[in-house]
Amino acid sequence: MADSPSLLKGTLDVLVLKALTWGPMHGFEIVTWLEQQSNGSVDVDDGALYYALHRMEERGLIESEWRVTGNNRKARYYRMRAAGRAWLRTEGASLERYARALADILALRTG
Amino acid sequence: MSHSRRLFHLDPFSRRLARQEMRDELAFHLEERVAQLTSRGLSPEAARAEAIRRLGRTYADAEHRLGDSAELKERRLDVRERLREFADDIRYAFRGLAARPGFTAIAVLTLGIGIGANTAIYSAVDALLLRSLPFPEPGRLFDIVQTSRDDGAAPWSHPKYKFFRDNQRSYATLAAHSSSQTILTGADPERVGVEEVTAQYLATLGVPVARGRDFPPEIDAGAGARRVALISDALWQRRFNADPGVVGKSLSLNNQPWEIIGVLPPGFRGLSGRAEALLNLSARAAEELSEPWSLEFSLIGRLKDGVTGPQAIAEAQLIGPRIYEAFPMQAGTLTTSTTPDRWTAAARPLDTIRVGSGLRSSLLVLFGAVALVLLIACVNLANLLVARAVARKREIAVRLALGARRGRLVRLLVTESLVLALLGGVASLVVAVAGTRILSSMNPQETLRVQGLGGGIGAIGFEAIRIDASALAFTFVVTVAVGLLFGLAPALGATRPSLVGDLKEGSSGAGAGRRVGVSRRALVVAEVALALVLLAGSGLMIRSLGNLLDVDPGFDGRNVLTLRLSVPPGVLAPDSMPGFYEQLQAEIGGIPGVERVAIADCPPLNNGCNGTIMTFADRPRSSTGNAMVGVHWVSPNWFGTMRVPLKRGRMFGDNDRLGSPKVVIINEAAARQYFPGEDPIGKRVGVYQGGFHTGAEIIGIVGDVRYGTIDSTARPDTYISYGQARLSRMMIFVRATGNPSALAPAVRAVVRRVAPHAPVFDVRSMSARVATASAQTRFSAVLLGLFATVALSLAVMGIYGVLSFAVAQRTGEIGIRMALGAERGSVVALVLRDAAVLALVGLTIGLLVALALTRVLRTMLFEVTTTDPLTYVAMASVLAVAVLAASWIPARRAARVDPVIALRKG
Repeated sequence: MADSPSLLKGTLDVLVLKALTWGPMHGFEIVTWLEQQSNGSVDVDDGALYYALHRMEERGLIESEWRVTGNNRKARYYRMRAAGRAWLRTEGASLERYARALADILALRTG
Repeated sequence: MSHSRRLFHLDPFSRRLARQEMRDELAFHLEERVAQLTSRGLSPEAARAEAIRRLGRTYADAEHRLGDSAELKERRLDVRERLREFADDIRYAFRGLAARPGFTAIAVLTLGIGIGANTAIYSAVDALLLRSLPFPEPGRLFDIVQTSRDDGAAPWSHPKYKFFRDNQRSYATLAAHSSSQTILTGADPERVGVEEVTAQYLATLGVPVARGRDFPPEIDAGAGARRVALISDALWQRRFNADPGVVGKSLSLNNQPWEIIGVLPPGFRGLSGRAEALLNLSARAAEELSEPWSLEFSLIGRLKDGVTGPQAIAEAQLIGPRIYEAFPMQAGTLTTSTTPDRWTAAARPLDTIRVGSGLRSSLLVLFGAVALVLLIACVNLANLLVARAVARKREIAVRLALGARRGRLVRLLVTESLVLALLGGVASLVVAVAGTRILSSMNPQETLRVQGLGGGIGAIGFEAIRIDASALAFTFVVTVAVGLLFGLAPALGATRPSLVGDLKEGSSGAGAGRRVGVSRRALVVAEVALALVLLAGSGLMIRSLGNLLDVDPGFDGRNVLTLRLSVPPGVLAPDSMPGFYEQLQAEIGGIPGVERVAIADCPPLNNGCNGTIMTFADRPRSSTGNAMVGVHWVSPNWFGTMRVPLKRGRMFGDNDRLGSPKVVIINEAAARQYFPGEDPIGKRVGVYQGGFHTGAEIIGIVGDVRYGTIDSTARPDTYISYGQARLSRMMIFVRATGNPSALAPAVRAVVRRVAPHAPVFDVRSMSARVATASAQTRFSAVLLGLFATVALSLAVMGIYGVLSFAVAQRTGEIGIRMALGAERGSVVALVLRDAAVLALVGLTIGLLVALALTRVLRTMLFEVTTTDPLTYVAMASVLAVAVLAASWIPARRAARVDPVIALRKG
C-alpha cells in the first residue's frame, strides 16, 4: 500500500528467494507469503514480482515449471536452484548487516 | 523442467509460447488475488480494481509489459543456452581430437599445407592482380598506346604524343614517360634507372614531391630546356646522405649535370618501379624529339571529371587514324615492323596492364590448382570423418533415441570439424608466411622485365607479396568454408534418422554401413579425378618446360660469362675505340682460366636486339619493300667463342677493318628469306646502320641464334664487325675453362684498370640468361608440379584409408570365403579389383575434367597441345600405379585373415 516502505533495489530478489526456501511456489503464493510473514508491512507490487522472477530465472537463480495446484488448477511454480541458494546466502547476509546497521543508527539518541 | 523443455523448442515458437504462458500466469494470479480480496470482504468489482492496480495501470498494459519481459527473458535464456551448448561442443570437440592425436595431427597438417598454399597464392594474386594501384583514384588513370595490326601496342614518338595531347578532350592531365638506364657518373660510377617524363607526370599519377618542387609546367615549352631532375628517396639517402639542402645541387648522369629540384616520396620509383631519378624529357635536343617514327614514350592520362572510361576509349580510337594521317609512314622509316599497316590508338585502364598477360594467366592457373589441392585435402578429411562417424554410429543413434535433436547433433559434429579446420588454419599461417617469402623473392616478372619481356608496370612487383589483413581474412573465410565443407556431409550422413537399424546394428554391420561405404567410394573417385586434373596440368607444364630447355638456341652458352660495359660519351675518342676493344680483349684473355674472349653489342635471348632495313644492290628498292634485319656488332672471334657454326663462306678476319671493303655476315634465316634459291655469298646489300647503307658484301652465313625469346625462331640477322664500325655499346663474352662465375672478379678488375670510367653491370653467366628465358614457364611448372605431388600423395593416403577400412569391415566375409576354400591370391585380387574399379572410374572422370580444364593452359604451353596424349597416358599411369600400390597393403592384410578368428569375431 501507499504508506508501506518501498523496497530497496535487490531486496525483493532476496525476499523472493527466501520464500522459495520453503519449497516451490507460484507467484501469488510468494506475494501472500511475504505479506503474511511481514504482517502486511512488506507490500510487494504484484507486477514488480514478475519482473523479479523473470530477472532471476534469466540469471539461473530459479527455474519454473507448470504444475497443478491443490484445487486442481494449472499454475506456474518457481523453484530455487543451487545458484539461487548461494546467492541468497551472500546477498541475504549483506542485507541483514545493512539492516542492522541501519537500525543501530536510527536507535542512536542525541545527547 | 525448463532445461529439458528448451531442448525441443524452436526459437520463434518459444517466444510466442513465453508470451502466452505469461498471459495464463497473470490470469491465474488475478483470479487468486480477486478471490483473496473478496474473502476479505471487498465487493467483486472493488476486488478486481484493486487486483489490477497492483499489477499495473490497466490489465492489458500489465499483460503487454510482462509479456515483453517474459519474451526477453526467454530470448536471453536461449542465447545463453546456445552459448553454453557451443562451449560444450567445443570442449567435446577438443576432447575428441585429443583422444585421437594421430588423426588430429594428420588432419591439421593436411589442412595447414592446403590452406597455407592457398593463402600464399592468394597473397600473390592480391598483390599482383587485385590490390588497387598505389595512386589516388587509380581507376581514372589510363594508359594510351598506338596500335598496329602487326605489332600490337606500340609506344609514341614525341610529335605524335603532342598531336594526341592537343587533340584530346578526355584527360585532365596527360604525360609522356620513358624508362631507361644511365650511368650515375662521378666517384664510384653506378648504373641507375631513370625515367624521362613530361612536366605533368607526377600530377597525373597524383604523387606529391616530398621536398623541393615538381617540374614547372613551362619546362615543356620547347626542346633543349634546362636539365632538371627529381631524385628518388633512396638515391637521396644513398648519394646525398639525406641532405636537407639537396635542392639546387647537381646530379651527374652520363657526364652531364642535372639540377636537382626535388625529392620523390619514399617508395615511389616511377611507373617503371626502378627510377632513381625523373628527368624532364624536354631537356633533349630538338632533333631528338622531332622524329615522328622514333617510338619510345609511353603515355598516361588522368580522366577529366565527368568523362567515363568508355568515352576516353572511344576518343582514342577516333584520334588514332588522324595521327597516322598527320605522320604517314614513309619508305625507309625504321621500325620493327615488316609490313606497316594502318595505325591507330587505344586507351586502356592502367590497371589492366599492371602485370604481363603471361603472368596473369600463370597466377590464375596456380590459384585454381592450389584450390584443387585444398579440395582434395577436404575430400580426404571428409573421408576420415565419415570413417569416424561410422565408428560413432551407435553413440549417435543412442543420442537420437534419447531425444537429442538432429540439428543439435549435426552442430556438435560440425563444431568438431570447424575446430579441426581452425587448428589447420593456424598451422597454415606458418606455410603461408614461408610461401609468401619465397614468392616475393623469386619474382619471375622482374627477371623478365630486366630484359624488356613480360610487360606490366614495374610499380607492381612480387616484392609486394605479403601476408596482410586481407590475406588473413581470406585464410579465415577459407578455413571456415573448409570446416563446413568436409564436416557437414559426414555429419548429415551420420545423423540420418534410421534409429532402429543403427541401434540393432553392431560396429561391423551391413545396412547403413554400406551406404557410408558408397559415399566414401564416391569421395575416393573424386580424389582420383581431382589428382589427375592436377597431374595432367603439371605434366603439360613440365613437358613444355622440357621443350623449352631442349630448344637449341643456336649457341653454346655453357661456361660463358657475360657482362655489359657502358662507356660514357666523351671518355674515348671514336677513333680509339677499335684499339680499346682489342686491348680489353687481350687483357681479359690473359686471365688464367679464360679460354676465349669476344664482344658483341647484344646478347642472345634478349627479346630482340636492334634492327633496321636491308636493301639489295641487284634488286630495285620498290620490289623489296622494307626488308627487316637484326643488326649485331661482334668481334671477329665472337662466333668461335659462342660456338655459332659457320655454314658457308668465311668469318670476319683481321683484315676487315676501318677503311677496308665493308663486309657483313648473315644468318641462315636471312639467307632463306631474302635469297631463296640463290647463293648469297658475294652479294652486295645495304644495311641501314653503322654506315653500311652504302653497301657491303656478304661474306658468310652462320647458324641461327635466337635473339628474341627462347620460344620464337630466329629472324633474319646480319652481323657487322666492331673492326669496321664504331659502337660504344658492348657486352663482353668470356668462355672459361671451368665455372664462369668464378672469373667475374678478375674480369671486373681488368675492366676497372683498362676503362676506369665505364661501369660494369649485368654480370651473369650465359646459362643464367638461358634459364631466365624460361623463368615464367619454370615458375608455373615448378609450382604446379609441387601441387600435383601433394595432390597425388593426398589421394594415395585417401585410397589407402578407404580400402583398409573396407577390408576391416569385410573381415567376416573374407573369413567365410577362405573357410570355403578361397585362395589367398583370389582374396588379394578381390581387394585389388575393388581399388581398380575406383581408380578406373576416377581416372575416366578426371580425364574428361582435365581435358576441359587444361585448355586454360593453352597460352602458357610451348610445343605441347593441351590434349597431348603422351602426358595424359603418363600421368594416368602414374596415378593408377600409385592407387594400386596404396591398395596393396590392405589387400595383403586381407589375405592374411585367419578364417577361424574372423568367423568367431563376425
